[in-house]
Amino acid sequence: MQSTPLPKNTVLGRFFEPPGIGKMSPGGKVIVYGVLFSWSAFVLFPLYWVVVTSLKLPIDVNAGPVYLPWVDFTPNLHAWRELLVTGLGKTMKPYFNSIVIALLSTSLCALIGSMAAYALVRIEYKPKFGTILLFVLAMVAMAMAVGVAGVDWRLAAAVAGAIFVLLARTLGRRFKRSVANGDILFWMISQRILPPVVTIIPVYMMFQNLRMLDTHAALILSYTVVNLPIVIWLMYDFFAAVPIELEESAQLDGASRLTIFFEIVLPLARAGLAATTLLVLILAWNEYVLALFLSTSKAQTMPILVAAMNAGEKGVLWWTMCVVIIIMIIPVILMALVLQRFIAKGVLTGAVKG
Amino acid sequence: MPSVFSEWLDRQSRHLFIMPAVIMILVFSIFPLIASAILALSRVRLRAGGYKVTFVGFANFKKQIFGSEQFHFLGTFGSISLLAWAFTIAVGALLIWWLLRYLRGPVWWLGLIGRLIAAAVLFGIAFMFAATLLSGTQIGTLGVTLFYVFVGCTAQFAIGLGLAVVCAQPIRGRTFFRVVFFLPLMITPIGIGYAFRMLADTTKGPFAPLWQMVGLGDYAWVTSPWAARFFIIVADSWQWIPFIFVVLLAALENVPRDMVEAGHVDGASHSQIFREITWPQIAPVAATVILIRVIEAFKLVDLPNIMTAGGPGIATESMTLHAFFAWRAPDLGQSAAISYLLLFVTVVLCVSFFNLVILKHRSAQG
Amino acid sequence: MKIVTKSVLTALFGAVALTGATAVAQAQKMYEGIEINLLTRPGPVIAGRLEERGKEFEAMTGAKINVASVPFADLFQKLLTDWATGTNSIDVGVFASGWAVELADGDLLADLSDFVANDPDLDLDDIAPYFREFNQKINGKTLLITIDGDFQMLYYRTDVLDELGLKPPKTWDEYLEVAAAAHGKDMNGDGVKDFGSCMFKKRNAQSFYAIMSIAAPFVQTQGTSQGIFFNIETMKPMVNNEAWAAALAFFKESGKYGPPEELNHDIGDTRALVTSGRCALMLDWGDIGPLSIDETTSKIKDLVGASILPGSTKVLDWESGKLVPCDAKRCPHAIDGVNHAPFAAFGGWSGAINAKADPKVIEAAYKFLSYMSQAAQSNYDVTQGWTGYNPYRISQFETIEPWVEAGFSRESAENYLGAIGDSLNSPNMASDMRIPGTQRYQGIILDRELARFLAGEVTAEQALENIEAGWEEITEEFGRDGQLSMYKSSLGITN
Repeated sequence: MQSTPLPKNTVLGRFFEPPGIGKMSPGGKVIVYGVLFSWSAFVLFPLYWVVVTSLKLPIDVNAGPVYLPWVDFTPNLHAWRELLVTGLGKTMKPYFNSIVIALLSTSLCALIGSMAAYALVRIEYKPKFGTILLFVLAMVAMAMAVGVAGVDWRLAAAVAGAIFVLLARTLGRRFKRSVANGDILFWMISQRILPPVVTIIPVYMMFQNLRMLDTHAALILSYTVVNLPIVIWLMYDFFAAVPIELEESAQLDGASRLTIFFEIVLPLARAGLAATTLLVLILAWNEYVLALFLSTSKAQTMPILVAAMNAGEKGVLWWTMCVVIIIMIIPVILMALVLQRFIAKGVLTGAVKG
Repeated sequence: MPSVFSEWLDRQSRHLFIMPAVIMILVFSIFPLIASAILALSRVRLRAGGYKVTFVGFANFKKQIFGSEQFHFLGTFGSISLLAWAFTIAVGALLIWWLLRYLRGPVWWLGLIGRLIAAAVLFGIAFMFAATLLSGTQIGTLGVTLFYVFVGCTAQFAIGLGLAVVCAQPIRGRTFFRVVFFLPLMITPIGIGYAFRMLADTTKGPFAPLWQMVGLGDYAWVTSPWAARFFIIVADSWQWIPFIFVVLLAALENVPRDMVEAGHVDGASHSQIFREITWPQIAPVAATVILIRVIEAFKLVDLPNIMTAGGPGIATESMTLHAFFAWRAPDLGQSAAISYLLLFVTVVLCVSFFNLVILKHRSAQG
Repeated sequence: MKIVTKSVLTALFGAVALTGATAVAQAQKMYEGIEINLLTRPGPVIAGRLEERGKEFEAMTGAKINVASVPFADLFQKLLTDWATGTNSIDVGVFASGWAVELADGDLLADLSDFVANDPDLDLDDIAPYFREFNQKINGKTLLITIDGDFQMLYYRTDVLDELGLKPPKTWDEYLEVAAAAHGKDMNGDGVKDFGSCMFKKRNAQSFYAIMSIAAPFVQTQGTSQGIFFNIETMKPMVNNEAWAAALAFFKESGKYGPPEELNHDIGDTRALVTSGRCALMLDWGDIGPLSIDETTSKIKDLVGASILPGSTKVLDWESGKLVPCDAKRCPHAIDGVNHAPFAAFGGWSGAINAKADPKVIEAAYKFLSYMSQAAQSNYDVTQGWTGYNPYRISQFETIEPWVEAGFSRESAENYLGAIGDSLNSPNMASDMRIPGTQRYQGIILDRELARFLAGEVTAEQALENIEAGWEEITEEFGRDGQLSMYKSSLGITN
């Protein structure tokens, strides 16, 4: 495992070897900062272009590229005015909806998802295959009753539930095969595979039956369900990294599982939780297809406003679209700044090994 | 706290923790799954105030694989070149060797079936590539999607990992870089599509003078299939590398610092430390992030739709875009069939990845 | 005295009461308390005017109009889903009339024939014959009310053509000649070479409307009832012939004189090029006229002329599939030997009402749509570019004053309106496809094969064969007889 470091008295040696532990060599610094700055340029240029376009008049956009405000063209706030002054009501409503829906669905998702992820790490589940099959069949029967025969969903749910409970004790036990944690995990992530375009009409009809169309609750529930697999999968690895000795010692002290989870495990995994929360917030904030169909006017969210800027045969209104894109980023940046502190904190500096 | 209740709660905790998630996902996913499966097997028309669904069996699937949409889905089959035959035979041999190796050990019937299906699908895909790409004809949406997924995700993972490693170093302005690198993911995908459409425009876009200087002023990337696909991967990478970056960064931050410092003290070089200490710690998270990214990549639709509308011709059309166009027609049955084909391919690839990489790693870890 | 006072007082009291009652009766408006939910594309285009006129309507009748909007690309899906699944949260849809056929096929639209028959204010005779007979009616029933007329015209730069000493092209061959002559000149004074011809060729955008505009004069000569898509006896597609081959060849050839990125340009991009002065020739709907006089977007004020779409001197012999020269019998509607067939692409934004809405709501909604369409309102709206409404009433292109007031110079107004008049008055106006499955025929098959042809993935022959095969497959799936009868009725053939 020993390597031969470069001799320190050569130029190359001095350039590429670190002066001390935890520090970088000069050569390393050049490479590292070079990479950082070039990637930053790659990231920031499109954003710069978006900001600059929001200040342009239509004629400035269409004639050819102009780069610098006040140098190449006169910046004009017409697009900003249109969205934030004259059309403030029309912009604020989706903005408010987006914030509420994204925050609520993300919090719900993070809570339910991390609990489930923790359970899948520490507890071994062995639900019988038969019971699962029976449950699925009961749901299918209920869905068919509501969809095809037009039975009221509450009645169908009650009947299906009763049948399931009755049969579970007898038929369910017949099949000995059981399903393991890995299978449960895979089933969850497989929910994300089907593209939303194919499930959107059935989902629409589901919510129509529940009379929840164009409500905030419908979108909050949908986003929570859709993003749960991601939370569970990501948090699984972060929870698995928490040393089990900590939990075992707490258990010996008599703490309940809930206490262990909320007071010991979760704080230790907060870097992962922060990253996951941020990701899920972004996914909910930017989601388009479900928002388009499950909302018409009352619960409309921001991505629809972006799409509305493509005015079909009247052209894309690049200037106003850029304004919408910019105002959409602001809350997310704020959340990212808040959460990134948690991601940055290092963990476990010898709590157990020491 | 009443101890009896808290004790009961603790005993129920194994259900309490997982049931909300399971029930929510189960309830919300069953009906759409079944409904869309029914749609895939039917012909849907609008009649007399509602949708009329007529069962047609596998007709929609047959149309995609063997029928009039074959060129669209699989590609145009030309005369198969020698190179293509060689490639196909090589892949076939590899798959047979893999199956035989499994048969030598303990065999479980479900595992064997799974492996056979995976081998069949992989062989089918290899043959499709051989008969279209390697024979000089055009690939269909299945091939394009696989291109986006494999080439795109590999590049994204490599770059994301590199950035995370670099950002985990002691550098000045970490917060600045972390937030900046994370920005692209925050922008709504539709916005990114339009922004990159603007950027890549050779007449109105900011790089227009650059192209003209280099002499490419009259070249339009939208007329060349591979250039168009490349641009879409560039836009896709710009958007999704932050995802990989942030998760891997969190994982790297989780690596106990004392282990790394011990490695430095022992005199190991950076690459050795990475290989022996850091990588094993972050490998599970890396595998998870790859799996999630791959699943999302299969669903790529906004970028090709906005940037090129699937053009030139059908060169950049992904399977989800193919399904979307059908859905708009509205040809709901065909759209569902294409989505289920996508589901099938994704599941086969992901299950293989999951079983052969993730589970093996987890069982090795103990 | 007291009795007299009493009776006078009673009389007075009665009179006051009676007046009061009448006043109260008048103050209570006809549709008080009715709410109409309208869905359309985002404003200010189309939706903006609906909102403003909606408020006027509310002041007049008490009915409240709620205008909601959904991105253009998803408007049809949203309407279809709302009405087909029985949600019925939307009462009125204002959308492209071409989409109405699918909705009508599912019996989702309210029949407005009786309303229209009893509504003299609508002034049906003022609506151009094409829009009155073919746009508003499906299967003989009036299901739509037109508020915007969409058909394509040719636009050209008057200054560029004058400099070259060329006349606006009358045939597609002349178009290529003019484009070739103008290509490479600097047309907007910025020192950069500009383009002879700008056309939208992007897939899944409007390129298939362009190809139909180009093919129409090759295919249709006997008037709107001939149609350009199918054989009227057998429902066989009329695309695999020399006429469409010529159209495809032209479409590809025009790319030589256009921007290099043309394959990725949709109409927004093309319009941007035109208004910034970079094109000599262009196809478009009526919007270029009003857009050109807006100085915040346009560099070509009063520099653009319009004319009826170029036609052809050679037309299709429907029996043999070959192109033959025009003569008096073959081309009865020819102008100077050239057969023109202005194509009513897209149909025009029109309003339709949910069949399952409350009868009172249907009545109020009809009155609103009628109000929008009446000359008193519409004639002003079509002169304002930002509304997105283009002319469709005869009175709109016969009176020049409103246009001059809006900012046109007299000369360009006359030229613009003249072109509109030529197109709308043409007895050979070509109708867009209006049968069930139109979006599959056009959007999936035609659009895709056109894109593949332009990208060089297939040859013209292969493309036409694929279109024919694809269309036949759809016809078979929907049922040939049903499609044939719908097609015939969409062309006004009743036998």
